[in-house]
Amino acid sequence: MIEVQHLSKRYGPFTAVDDVSFSVGAGEILGFLGPNGAGKTTTMRIITGYMPASEGTVTVAGHDVFSDAIEAKKRTGYLPETPPLYPDMSVRDYVTFVARIKGVPSREVRGRVDAVMKKTHIADMASRHCGKLSKGYKQRVGLAQALIHNPDVLVLDEPTAGLDPKQIIEARQLITELGGNHTVVLSTHILPEVSQTCSRVVIIARGKVVAVDTPDNLTARLRGSETMYLQVAAPGADVTPALSAIAGITRVKAEAGANGLVAIEVDCEQGRDVRRELAATVVNHGWGLLELRPMRMSLEDIFLSLTTEDAGAPPADAAPAATEAANA
Amino acid sequence: MRNVITIARKELQSYFASPIAYVVIGFFALLFGYFFASLVYWFEQQSLQMTPGSGPPLNINQALIGPVFMNVSVIVLFVMPMITMRTYAEEKRSGTMELLLTSPLTDVQIILGKFLGALGLYAVMLAVTLIHVGVLFIYGSPEWKPIATVYLGLLLMGACFISAGLFISSLTKNQIVAGMVTFAVFLLLWVINWLGQSFGPTGQAVISHLSITEHLDDFARGIIDTKHVIYYLSFIVFGLFLTARSVDSERWRG
Repeated sequence: MIEVQHLSKRYGPFTAVDDVSFSVGAGEILGFLGPNGAGKTTTMRIITGYMPASEGTVTVAGHDVFSDAIEAKKRTGYLPETPPLYPDMSVRDYVTFVARIKGVPSREVRGRVDAVMKKTHIADMASRHCGKLSKGYKQRVGLAQALIHNPDVLVLDEPTAGLDPKQIIEARQLITELGGNHTVVLSTHILPEVSQTCSRVVIIARGKVVAVDTPDNLTARLRGSETMYLQVAAPGADVTPALSAIAGITRVKAEAGANGLVAIEVDCEQGRDVRRELAATVVNHGWGLLELRPMRMSLEDIFLSLTTEDAGAPPADAAPAATEAANA
Repeated sequence: MRNVITIARKELQSYFASPIAYVVIGFFALLFGYFFASLVYWFEQQSLQMTPGSGPPLNINQALIGPVFMNVSVIVLFVMPMITMRTYAEEKRSGTMELLLTSPLTDVQIILGKFLGALGLYAVMLAVTLIHVGVLFIYGSPEWKPIATVYLGLLLMGACFISAGLFISSLTKNQIVAGMVTFAVFLLLWVINWLGQSFGPTGQAVISHLSITEHLDDFARGIIDTKHVIYYLSFIVFGLFLTARSVDSERWRG
């Protein structure tokens, strides 16, 4: 549904997006992850036809967003980072206005407006001015605006930013429902959101795609080592040397807490189960073993390891586009 | 065309949803009323001082209506920046530009919509003066044709100001900057012929041709000269063209 090929965007000498390629199938929900300034918004703005690319092509439902812009825009709904509302317009007037400029046929406008306001739960605010809405309602009106012409493709730039926890859950549900009928591209900072709503993730850093995969695969693939978490009651004792001595353990990180409790993270070689040795060592030293469990590498850790500059090279198979230019 | 009308309606709606339209029209009416009253008073004095039979009576069209509407052009000069300064600057600041530019609209449709919206507000503003003209028709017998041409002239002149104002507004995110620059440009276009005298006859002709209000004189006399109509129309088209270029280049720069 969306084909992004060798997309680059330069502002003078600064490269915001550098040779980004990915594609999104019909009905798929694609998560777009990356730190601030990574080029997420720029990429989204190019997909929606807000700005042209310096190089590369983007097609939406077979229409090039630059040479066939009007047709592509008819099939795209876009919610920018700040909902593009006119503060002096009432919610109903605003959604009606958007319906008209998005090319909804005149006699369908009223019906579409009603349906979309119902779907996004803003009907109760229909006569309120957009400028007087709470952040949550503004976001929903923004979503209504993006949905009004029933587009094939929805591009949502941080759709849950600034919402309260209940609203976030509602927004996620709505987005999940939208997948299937629409192709959705969403960017976010909230990582659990990606594993909950997205079928695929694109991680972008410094303008380049560093990983494209499903959230589960990414988690599994990037677990280069296994990490165990222990909590031990060992007043006055130094646990690090004793644990480091166990065969197969590569790193021990101990952090002393209150009442002689020590929280320990232990990295060990992959595929090697050291839980028995760990337990035995703790007990033999007369310490109390309060907790011992394997730690899964969270999406957060993956995100950090992929997007932090000095984290070293990401695993080769996870990095189709990370090449020399990043360090140039 | 439907898109142009939709945008124009939205522009007009937003003028009237905010205090802008009411303040602009209200104070325009106040200033115009003052000028009108003082000129009527002056005209009355002149008429009374004339000895009967010494010549034709004062022509109400030339001696009163002409000067009144030349004064309108001065008020418009002050008022128009307030109308145009927000057109693009506000959209850029509030992020609604993203909505317009990602909708299936062409730049030309957006520009024409905004242009017609501002022109609509200006027309409403001018319509207020019909009351005063109506008073003249009740107590005097002016000719209506020169009045019609002066309205045509004022509409064309206002449209010029709007096209220039749109362009300036499209250059910045800041309404105050847009307003101040627009005002300075309008004022310069108005007084540019003062400088003309020091450039010799040819220079003066060229410079006074550039002056935006100079072209209004003939309309006030009831003359529709194609020279002036073409000046105004080409000014409008040029202003809108510059706006289109500015919006497009903004898009590339991001």
